[in-house]
Amino acid sequence: MKRMSIARFYKGMNLTAFSLVMVFLYIPILILVIFSFNDAKIITGWRGFTLKYYEQLWHNDAIKDAFRNTMLIAGLSTLISTVFGILTALGMENKNFSGRRLISGLIYVPLVIPDILMGVSLALLFNFTRVNTGMITVLIAHITFCISYTVIVIQSRLEGFDYSLVEAAMDLGAKPAVIFWKVKFPLMLPGIIAAALLAFTLSIDDFIITFFTSGRGFDTLPIYVEGTIRRGTITTINSLSTIMIGFTLFLVVITKRIRKVLISSM
Amino acid sequence: MEEIRIEHVTKDFDGFVAVNDVSLTIHSGELFSFLGPSGCGKTTLLRMIAGFETPRSGRIMIGSADITDIPPYKRQVNTIFQNYSLFPHMSVYDNVAFGLRIRKTPKAEIKDRVEEMLSLVKMADQASKYPDQISGGQKQRIAIARALINKPKVLLLDEPLAALDLKLRQHMLIELMNIHDAVGITFIYVTHDQGEAMSISDRVAVMNHGKIIQAGPPDDIYERPKSIFSAYFIGETNLITGEVTAIEDDYIQLKCPDGTGNFLELDSTYNIKPEVGKELTVSLRPEKIALSRSKPRMQDDINMLKGTIEDILYLGTHTQYIVRVGLLKFRVFSQHKRVYFDDKALDWEESVWLFWHDSDTWLIDEIPEHDISDSAEGGVSHYQRSVKRPAQI
Amino acid sequence: MSKEPRTDWQRQQKQLSKQQKSRNLASWALTAPALLWLIVFFLVPYLIVVIYSFLTPDIYDVKFEFSMDAYRQAFNPDYLRTLFQSFKLATFTTLLCLLLGFPVAYFIARAKDKTKNTLLVFIIIPFWTNLIIRIFSWRIFLAYNGVLNDVLMNIGLISQPLEIMRTDMAVILVMVYVYLPYMILPLYSVLEKLDFTLLQAAMDLGASEVKAFFSITLPLSIEGIFAGSLLVFIPALGAYLIPQLVGNQRTLYLGQVITYKIKNIPRNWPMASALSLTLLFFVAIMLILLFTLYRHRRNRGHA
Repeated sequence: MKRMSIARFYKGMNLTAFSLVMVFLYIPILILVIFSFNDAKIITGWRGFTLKYYEQLWHNDAIKDAFRNTMLIAGLSTLISTVFGILTALGMENKNFSGRRLISGLIYVPLVIPDILMGVSLALLFNFTRVNTGMITVLIAHITFCISYTVIVIQSRLEGFDYSLVEAAMDLGAKPAVIFWKVKFPLMLPGIIAAALLAFTLSIDDFIITFFTSGRGFDTLPIYVEGTIRRGTITTINSLSTIMIGFTLFLVVITKRIRKVLISSM
Repeated sequence: MEEIRIEHVTKDFDGFVAVNDVSLTIHSGELFSFLGPSGCGKTTLLRMIAGFETPRSGRIMIGSADITDIPPYKRQVNTIFQNYSLFPHMSVYDNVAFGLRIRKTPKAEIKDRVEEMLSLVKMADQASKYPDQISGGQKQRIAIARALINKPKVLLLDEPLAALDLKLRQHMLIELMNIHDAVGITFIYVTHDQGEAMSISDRVAVMNHGKIIQAGPPDDIYERPKSIFSAYFIGETNLITGEVTAIEDDYIQLKCPDGTGNFLELDSTYNIKPEVGKELTVSLRPEKIALSRSKPRMQDDINMLKGTIEDILYLGTHTQYIVRVGLLKFRVFSQHKRVYFDDKALDWEESVWLFWHDSDTWLIDEIPEHDISDSAEGGVSHYQRSVKRPAQI
Repeated sequence: MSKEPRTDWQRQQKQLSKQQKSRNLASWALTAPALLWLIVFFLVPYLIVVIYSFLTPDIYDVKFEFSMDAYRQAFNPDYLRTLFQSFKLATFTTLLCLLLGFPVAYFIARAKDKTKNTLLVFIIIPFWTNLIIRIFSWRIFLAYNGVLNDVLMNIGLISQPLEIMRTDMAVILVMVYVYLPYMILPLYSVLEKLDFTLLQAAMDLGASEVKAFFSITLPLSIEGIFAGSLLVFIPALGAYLIPQLVGNQRTLYLGQVITYKIKNIPRNWPMASALSLTLLFFVAIMLILLFTLYRHRRNRGHA
């Protein structure tokens, strides 16, 4: 009897921990969402429902610019780093490749070094080479930190690839080029999508590396938000954040397929 | 319709010789099997016919065309893979249509032929499903349809039933034979399961260590094994090695190495011409031996030994007895037919007579180098080398 | 006959090595873009960091004059305290994430297959939500006139608002909040593969739940603990944004100091470089330590 109760105690403890963590993870976000509809200038108690901050958001050109910049950088860096990822993963498929260790080292090292160091080193590079910081430098930085992730995600998909499918296609009369586009690429596609989604999210999310590589006048959303928080005018940030959370929820929950891919990319 | 000729084909992987100078002709329209334990080279041989491997030396011909160096996608040969290798991102229909689409067949024709194929393999109602939505047996059928739709000259089957359970395997075996009859092309079948090979094939090639040990119709290999390996690998047998004591016109006499001075007699109708004083090995299938409590009435052309029952294994369709005769142990299969048998079933430690016809003692022109009973199957040793090794008992 | 296969074999060997060579070349060609990119934008910048750390600072830029001042300054007590603060923060964050994350990962791993994925998604959603927004939401929650204080005062638990915002505690709280999923996911992936019948076997052999946990569950999930700790500890060492947004200016962390040296005027790039290299040095030591430990455990496991 005593045993049973201990086992149940453990189970209960785990459930409690899980519930607490859930509360911990979601309460701040929930409050943020609620307060985006609060009719008050500063953070304070509930003063009634309003949509006016969403309207302000709509008329705020700086936010629109930052949004456009973010999407542009995220789109381009996703595209380029995913292409790099596909090529590299295909090249690394050859187990006897003489550059295997070198390249996998270069791919993995950025992942275990604090982001801030990549920011600093790139800032120095652009200072040293006298390149004007701005969109191009931010793009370069984003591609640099996305490559590692795209290569690893696509590579892990390729590792489980059943080579007998290629043989089957060959057996049925398909030439190597046809096999790549009709069999191999479609089967790599989930991995590619997962890699692209990861790169896109990382790019949208990045603050610190962008902070070091963007010049004045080129703000992405995180840079803009941080600046606004520092200046203290935060009411529109609530509504902006709510929209961005909504976007994430849309990506993660609504589209079941993407959800599957997201989990497998982890 | 053309025959396949394999001429002196050798293949190695990093020094390991997988296929060693194999030559063989497979007739057009035949259902031919490669049978052997894993690692015997049967799959490598199949992959060379398919074009996935290139032989180090020798050549492979289909009719008058040398296909040795032709890439797989240009060969009129199709393969059923062991794990079926259906494309997971395509529906059943698209899988079957794959080969035709590659060859840019007109759409209407593709539709007709896919439907025809799907109904041949009884899968017409599953066309829109995906590979992960159908069962193992259904995947098997789709793999067959996907291969046959290309009208290959040869269909290669690499352990096609290995992933299915027993009942389904027996069912698919019959289905495969029916499909073979329906399409009439050459089937080359690779398996390690002697039962499958025996029941399905027109001819079987028994392989070991990269070489073909014996090729021929199943009954020929079973009844007249040419080597200890094929006698042993297909079915079960008693192998007895003894010294030739007499050669007459119609029979050969062998000293039975049981230590009691018995002699075995066998028909001398082979092409092997033994000499008196030489050691020979004979194979005696367990089901050829009859058991009796009383001494059978003496007949010509009958071998007779007296022994003691040491072990009894009831197996449903038959009972296996291990009978000790002097220094030897014999494995005997006996069916439960009351009409032939003594009233009471035989019991442990009972003494019995073993007897069989001279022509069932089959001479193998090979002296075993070592005890193969352990390497192949384990269990009761039913092969004794000679009197020189009484330690077996 | 014996000559024929031999020449054949030599021809084949040649063909084989030729084929391997061309495959190798193809691999180089395919990996070249990423390789070049990472050399130019990942390796070369570090080289520049090393060079800059030996230069003399200027108000906006650097003077190309050799100097060891940056290192001399980096090892004075003020900066060493910053480094210590960062280590303390990273250690606390990692430990708290582990303590909180383990039962959660265990709970998810033992859930039914269908609910597993849903539970995981709940863990991942915040992870995919913008970092700065999540930090910002804590500011609203913890602020002097924020929601937490509001609620606590309304139910009469406190009479005066708590000052949580802009304290070290707030920094650790938000750090744990942000890095918790990084700990839970690797822990989950090992615990999910863990054969729970082993626990039953241990208990069958007389081990208590506690004993079974320490002798079975913990040793078998050590890989996940290593991976999770790595994923939390290393970024936490270089944390800038969280201390900046919810911390106070009395306790500075390494990430903040490095950033100030680059962003604030007068700039001190050599100093930022020297501090970055110090951080890199400690990260490298941590990594080597962790991997030796890990390999040691693994080797022992194999023996």
